[in-house]
Amino acid sequence: MSRPPILGRFGHGYVAPAAVLVAVLLYAPFVWTAYLSLTRYDGLESPVWVGLANFVKLFDDDALLTSTRNTLIWVAGTMALPVGLGLLVAVLSYDLKGGAWYRVPFMLPYALSGAGLAMVWSPVLSHDGIANLLLGVDTAFLQEAPANTLAMLAVWTWQQLGVNTLLFVVGLQSIPREPIEAARLDGASGWRLFRHVTWPLMRPLTAVVVGLALVSSLKTFDIVWVLTQGGPGRNSETLAVTMYKETFVASDYGYGSAVAVLLTVVTGLASYLYLRRQVTAT
Amino acid sequence: MYRSRVATLGVAALVLAACGGNGAEVSQKKTELTLYNDKGAWTKYFDEMGALSKQRIGLGMKPTGYTDSAQYQAFIKASFRTNVKPDLFTWQTGGMLEEIVKQKQVADTTAVWQEAIKAGDLSQDLVPYYTVGGRQYCVPMNVAYWGMFYNKKIFDEHGLKPPQTWDDLVATAETLKRAGVKAFYHTSVLFSFVWFEQLMAGTDPDLYDRLSTGKAKYTDPGVVQVMERWKQLIDAGYFINPGDKTDPGDVLKTGKAAMVTFGTWFNTSMTTRSMKAGADYDFFVIPNVNPALPKTSMIFESGPLCSLTKAADPEAGMKYLKWWTTSEAQDKWATSRGDVSANPKVTIDDKALGTVTKDAGGGKYRLVNRYFEATPPPVLSAALDGFGKFVTEPGTYMEVLESIQKAADEYWSTHQ
Repeated sequence: MSRPPILGRFGHGYVAPAAVLVAVLLYAPFVWTAYLSLTRYDGLESPVWVGLANFVKLFDDDALLTSTRNTLIWVAGTMALPVGLGLLVAVLSYDLKGGAWYRVPFMLPYALSGAGLAMVWSPVLSHDGIANLLLGVDTAFLQEAPANTLAMLAVWTWQQLGVNTLLFVVGLQSIPREPIEAARLDGASGWRLFRHVTWPLMRPLTAVVVGLALVSSLKTFDIVWVLTQGGPGRNSETLAVTMYKETFVASDYGYGSAVAVLLTVVTGLASYLYLRRQVTAT
Repeated sequence: MYRSRVATLGVAALVLAACGGNGAEVSQKKTELTLYNDKGAWTKYFDEMGALSKQRIGLGMKPTGYTDSAQYQAFIKASFRTNVKPDLFTWQTGGMLEEIVKQKQVADTTAVWQEAIKAGDLSQDLVPYYTVGGRQYCVPMNVAYWGMFYNKKIFDEHGLKPPQTWDDLVATAETLKRAGVKAFYHTSVLFSFVWFEQLMAGTDPDLYDRLSTGKAKYTDPGVVQVMERWKQLIDAGYFINPGDKTDPGDVLKTGKAAMVTFGTWFNTSMTTRSMKAGADYDFFVIPNVNPALPKTSMIFESGPLCSLTKAADPEAGMKYLKWWTTSEAQDKWATSRGDVSANPKVTIDDKALGTVTKDAGGGKYRLVNRYFEATPPPVLSAALDGFGKFVTEPGTYMEVLESIQKAADEYWSTHQ
């Protein structure tokens, strides 16, 4: 099939502004970061080529092991709590009379930004904070690992639960009524109805919710940075926090870029493998 | 096909031109300068200085304050590679100043220094902190001497006086502990280095200096002993919880801790909390741990105010720096913040700080460069994290020292 002549003649010109913006704002920084990961660079002097030295260092860095462990906790925790609980709240409240009102309180914290969320919770979780006062205990919520990561995950859940619930409710609403009615006529109800009919029908939306949660948990930064700055002693760092600290705090732009490349590869690979599985399954 | 390629190239050229500016340094006459700084909390005081300079030298100044120092430094470093240059900016002395001077864009202020020293507006003692390769760069934005701020009411209540020796200080902490009062403030975030530098400087300042230049190791016995002493103080229960996020100004005001060690700039925190020097709080010089040292070690810091040769109006920048050092400007700058000044002619109302400044200028103390400026950024970053871990888990001190040394080995292998 031949293209309409007008597009053939001017097509590239029309696309050019967007293509240039994408190239300058997305591809160029990515290529530059990948290049920097192969150099020693302090942000001022010209980068010095060091080959794969920064990537070799990744495997000999205890802090990176800790941040990888914490990032995995964030991924697993995000799947279990904001996503898992979101699904539970959506399913339990969906058929209830006035269910929307049960869901509204979960939605409100979503209005906060990540940094704002952390600012709000900082006086709650700190030593001598509101949580300790209310519970009458003396717990160092943000000091010991991995308890500090779990505490921040709880805060994250408080914010994210509502939006996941909302998305799952939309998924439930989009399911055609016929298969559900047919299953009910056949005697299915409760868990069996959900497990064998509702859940498979929600799969496309679940793929999106889980995919988004996967990516956002892998790049967790703001809440950790504001609440603990990755400490004490780097024990609550995530890969994104390590990337920032190595680059901008330690001025080791080369090593920070290597962490960025690692994070990009992990995020890209995890998203690809997950989405490929979902697409194949559907 | 040819036309479409031309169109593509045309659009790309326009976008790049828009991004890159005109590529030439066009000098323009400015009547107001922008002062970039990482002291967002001081905006009010910078504004007052801007109003005064407008009135006195016809050159206004507007501050742009960052609160995240890493973000701020990245911005300033990036400006060296672009045409977007700050008119004036604050920075740090030590390795950080050397690093940017090497880029050959920081304005040489040797003439300003010579004139100011001749006029008695700057002290010769400060010259080494601002000298790179025999020339001076930037001028002192502020100076600060570090010591102990204490809650006077708590001291009076328990019949305590400022300690004269290290043993006195520990005895004071013990008395407070028995009375159920935490003696000292410390934190696991950012200022986690404070007690390390104080104990190091008061025990072996030469070792501290060698550590800063990579000539000693963090695992050397002298450093290990300092960490053990610090651990003893923590184990004795003299410190508040390092995870406490209460502002140190409030910690001292509310008596959560009776003593807080910081630079004289901490006086600004007292001023903003309406605390009166000599009545609500006071200041003493921390005695040496090692009484055999010939002089009391005092942590000293000075933050530079700089301009760039490739800024939009370099002459205006230099004019401002020159004015900044004068007693007229410094009187306002010091008085409004309740802090000491780099200008020896400026006196402040606070008696204790006034005495310290005078004594320090008279050579009574051994001035020791603050750890933050004395330590190269990658080592500092590892150390801040390490000390943050140590104050939370004091038993890990050897592990912490080894991790800092690892960063130091890596840095000094390429920077000797």
